[in-house]
Amino acid sequence: MIQFEGVTKTYQSGKQEIHALNGIDLTVETGEIFGVIGFSGAGKSSLIRTVNLLERPSSGHVRIDGKDISTLSAKEIRKTRKDIGMIFQHFNLLNSKTVFHNVAMPLILANTPKNKIKEQVKELLDFVGLSDQATKYPDQLSGGQKQRIGIARALATNPSVLLCDEATSALDPQTTQAILELLRRINREYNITILLITHEMGVIREICDKVAVLEAGKVIEQGTVFEVFTNPQQPTTQRFVRSVMNDELPESLLKQIQNPSRKNSIYRIQFTGTSVGQPLMSRISRKYQLDLNVLFGNITELQGAPYGNLIVEFTGPAEEIKKALADIREGNVHVEEVLNYAS
Amino acid sequence: MLVDNEQILEALWETIYMTGVAFLFSVIIGFILGLLLVVTRKGHLLENEPVSKVLNAIINIFRSVPFIILMVAIIPLTRIIVGTSIGTAAAIVPLVFYAGPYIARLIENSLLEVDKGVIEAAQAMGASPFQIVFRFLIPEALSSLVLALTIAIVGLIGASAMAGAIGGGGLGDLAITYGYQRFDTLVMVVTVAILVVLVQGVQSGGNLLSRRVRRR
Repeated sequence: MIQFEGVTKTYQSGKQEIHALNGIDLTVETGEIFGVIGFSGAGKSSLIRTVNLLERPSSGHVRIDGKDISTLSAKEIRKTRKDIGMIFQHFNLLNSKTVFHNVAMPLILANTPKNKIKEQVKELLDFVGLSDQATKYPDQLSGGQKQRIGIARALATNPSVLLCDEATSALDPQTTQAILELLRRINREYNITILLITHEMGVIREICDKVAVLEAGKVIEQGTVFEVFTNPQQPTTQRFVRSVMNDELPESLLKQIQNPSRKNSIYRIQFTGTSVGQPLMSRISRKYQLDLNVLFGNITELQGAPYGNLIVEFTGPAEEIKKALADIREGNVHVEEVLNYAS
Repeated sequence: MLVDNEQILEALWETIYMTGVAFLFSVIIGFILGLLLVVTRKGHLLENEPVSKVLNAIINIFRSVPFIILMVAIIPLTRIIVGTSIGTAAAIVPLVFYAGPYIARLIENSLLEVDKGVIEAAQAMGASPFQIVFRFLIPEALSSLVLALTIAIVGLIGASAMAGAIGGGGLGDLAITYGYQRFDTLVMVVTVAILVVLVQGVQSGGNLLSRRVRRR
């Protein structure tokens, strides 16, 4: 478990004080994948670095499994760091060393016997799917392969926490998917807690259990990925959510339907979980004798659960529409009004 | 030609000897200073502003004194160290004082070229400052360090030509006393030609070695 308690970080830049972190309170539970998202300059990078003290908080506490790490001596910090793996946006591999040597590095630093290093590195390279590349050098590998080496290296000391600093931001979408899958496997198979920072909402949607949105050094919103994606509160969060889940009516369509003479009402209907599987639309249409016209919509998967978002035009008597909406709401489906010219 | 082959060979040997011994000592001094310059920098492994400032000032002072003046200025010190202020051994002392700070700067440059991210990764792995320097910083900079030291050797060969001013001998001395002062153009041409070949050889060797150590 990683706990941030009132963590602040202030830099001195010339005469100006820069507040990178402005009182962060967060809890990352053991075994979960926790994502922190924010635009550049939001303080993500400082935040993740306070966990292994690559940056020291100006005030506040960071606790790992209850232990306040800012009170540790230099030697104890080094020991703690061996229990916290970290991977980076630009991989940060040694270009002068082979893949084998790069992965072996944390073990060499810990004075592990040579035959044991060999064994462990082989295992790690197998795990990341690069056992045939051991004698190559990083500059002979693709970005995705380099990140796999970075991951193998980070896992060499059997850490309980893995920090991912924009680990997929330098990769193409396909490679990103593959790396994210690998991270999920690490999380599940080894029960390693993952704290990742990113500016890509797709990464959060793909693998995170929980998410915190960072802006100007503050957590402006946090919750489970499902909660935050289906019901974002802050404008910044809404922007991020919209970047991967387009649920806004297209402008052209909006113009077309903004017409009082159509006598219609338009609602946004959000299905979650099991409600996706039900033939709701046709049932409502038959039962209340209404014309339902799906204007726009999408159904995606969030944390393994389906999530649907439809914008539906209801045409018919206002009384019946009202009844129909009440009926829909009963089935654990969220409905909100977009436009109403019927009443 | 006013000199025979033997004299030329002797001068060549003196140049190689002066350069070689001076190089050895200046690398030791330059390496320590260069490493300190890097790690005491702001935000680096062992950030230490006073040490950094003092080191920079000292190095800049030595770097700003022209070699010919440095050579004369430290004569008392030379006498203490090697017991005499003339001859080849006496020339080595000012050469070290000249090349040491120079190499410190070259090494500083090479070490600074190492990606900060690599150092960060090393820290994240729990490496100690000593491990970071010897397992990450130096191996990553090695190829560039070899090229930097090649430049230093070439610089030393050039500087050693002035050692004649205190009777240090060497090819430069030969070229001045016979080629220039006694108008023997042939001696001038021959010594310069030998120096050209020497420098070419050093540079090629350096390039080759640098490529070899890029990946190990």
